[in-house]
Amino acid sequence: MGRIVLENVTKSFGSTEVIPPLNLTIEDGEFAVFVGPSGCGKSTLLRVIAGLEDATSGKVLIDDEDVTEISPSKRGLAMVFQTYALYPHMSVRKNIAFPMRMAGMSEEEQEKRITAAANSLNLTDYLDRKPGQLSGGQRQRVAIGRAIVRDPSAFLFDEPLSNLDAALRVGMRLEITEMHERMKTTMIYVTHDQVEAMTMANKIVVLQAGVIEQVGSPLELYHRPRNKFVAGFIGSPKMNLIEGALAEEHAAHTIGIRPEHLSVSDKEGLWQGTVGVAEHLGSDTFIHIHGIEGCDPMTMRAAGDVSFKHGDRVYLTPDATQIHKFDAQGLRIE
Amino acid sequence: MSNRKLPRMLQSPAVILLLIWMLVPLSMTLYFSFIRYVLNNLRRPEWTTPSISNWRGLGNYEFVLKSKDFLFAIQNSLLIVCSILFLTVVLGVLIAVLINKSFPGQGIVRVLLISPFFVMPAVNAVLWINMILDPVLGLQGIAVAGINETVAGLRNTPLIGGFFSLWPEFNPISFRATQTSAYAVIMMVTWQWTPFAVLIFMTSLQSEDQQQKEAAILDGASAWSQFRFLTLPHLGRPIAIVVMIQAIFHLSLYAEIEIVSRGNGNKNLPYLIGEFANNNIGAASATGIFAVILANIVAIFLLRMVGKTLME
Repeated sequence: MGRIVLENVTKSFGSTEVIPPLNLTIEDGEFAVFVGPSGCGKSTLLRVIAGLEDATSGKVLIDDEDVTEISPSKRGLAMVFQTYALYPHMSVRKNIAFPMRMAGMSEEEQEKRITAAANSLNLTDYLDRKPGQLSGGQRQRVAIGRAIVRDPSAFLFDEPLSNLDAALRVGMRLEITEMHERMKTTMIYVTHDQVEAMTMANKIVVLQAGVIEQVGSPLELYHRPRNKFVAGFIGSPKMNLIEGALAEEHAAHTIGIRPEHLSVSDKEGLWQGTVGVAEHLGSDTFIHIHGIEGCDPMTMRAAGDVSFKHGDRVYLTPDATQIHKFDAQGLRIE
Repeated sequence: MSNRKLPRMLQSPAVILLLIWMLVPLSMTLYFSFIRYVLNNLRRPEWTTPSISNWRGLGNYEFVLKSKDFLFAIQNSLLIVCSILFLTVVLGVLIAVLINKSFPGQGIVRVLLISPFFVMPAVNAVLWINMILDPVLGLQGIAVAGINETVAGLRNTPLIGGFFSLWPEFNPISFRATQTSAYAVIMMVTWQWTPFAVLIFMTSLQSEDQQQKEAAILDGASAWSQFRFLTLPHLGRPIAIVVMIQAIFHLSLYAEIEIVSRGNGNKNLPYLIGEFANNNIGAASATGIFAVILANIVAIFLLRMVGKTLME
């Protein structure tokens, strides 16, 4: 079990309030991702849940039990850190055994769990090495192994992939998602990378300056962002946000259109502009178009390779059903 | 190959200087240890100049080995060095961990802690033996006298008087007496060198990974377990450094021994060398060679021990 509830949790460092009163429920078995720009309080929130930081006020409940005053180790949570935080002078085996050793578990049980964890994480050949002799990905797996053997009610991940290179990151992303599918344990994952959030989560929590901007499934956030911030943050490349005359045509302060919902033509269309940089990815081409009032440059995504050159005059047409409208406060208008 | 010549030539002054620096004194010591060489001898004036014709072979070594103070000096050297190492490392780790937490007045406390290290060894010895350890005028004498007076006063009080009348009268310890002068040296050098250990351990503690500690907290490690399984192994290398440097320094202790008891009942190898060197340079040189061997054995042994126990 691992149902985590935050009730009016706040956190201040001195007189600076980093998290204003915040309420959030993470259901048992959910993969929740906290996402937001750096400094938005997502890591602090995770540390409050873990107990590494005390909440200034409010309550943290795990399975309906108030754990706000309970020590971190008694909360039954396991955490994986960005820097792996392995114990450098201990072998992989001892690293993984450490939480069980601290809990005074029997040697046989320890050995059983280590073997199981090492098998599922492909670490069997490395058990007697020191962390310093492992690659970044292997180290991260050891850190995950150390979390698994505790059989926690929830896993907490604090930007676990940001120290890995891009290729490895994609691989580990899949492994962690698969691990969740297999174990069905609650996981809370902190990242600043919206791609990780979109690909891994059941539930995304978008945070800005300690405030929850929106909570929802990845596709909910993609299709119905509650405000301008979420609209701009979720999706890659970013949504084009257009202000001024073009927005007023739709009776909104700002309208948003995703790059993939624009079509381009060299003959006719709604909005006229000139091609700036075109980024060719093979499968897609991202074209940056200048000269459209209220949004400069506007990004559009064309499937396949498109042969527009720098300086070409083009016409863009948005998919009318995919236009997002926002009022002056940045909130969504239905 | 020719392109290697220039760098070699440029390095050579430093290398040659270092070689001279090390090799000349060592080979002179070796040379003197194999010949008869004394500073003053009326009957055999030819022994007063070093010459190969005064060859004595292993005679000087035999003389030293048979001299009554030699074994005692080696034992005492080891006792003093090992005790100081043990005490400074233990105290150093404890104090460093204690003051690693932030507290008001941290800066002043740290400066005060480091200050004994700036006291000259001779001054340190004079201060300790006269002002602190002196059985009459020192802090020790005053404290013991004070306790005795208090106990004597309490003997006449009702109720608890009976308990205190069971107490013996305390005698202050004379640290200039033969058996105890080594302890006096150990105390004063420990006091002086603990700051050195604290300083090194403190810098090392500041580089300790905080996320590792947090991981350990979540893993359910108590404060003691964190200290034992994370901090202590993290300090393994600095401890080895402190042990090595101090072993080198304390094997050659001289001033403290001279001031506390003039070598009475408390000699180490350097002191023995000094005594021989009053006249018999040959014997002093042979002792010097023994000292070099001892220093190497101690260094290797200690480093192995520290390395093994802490790095697992």
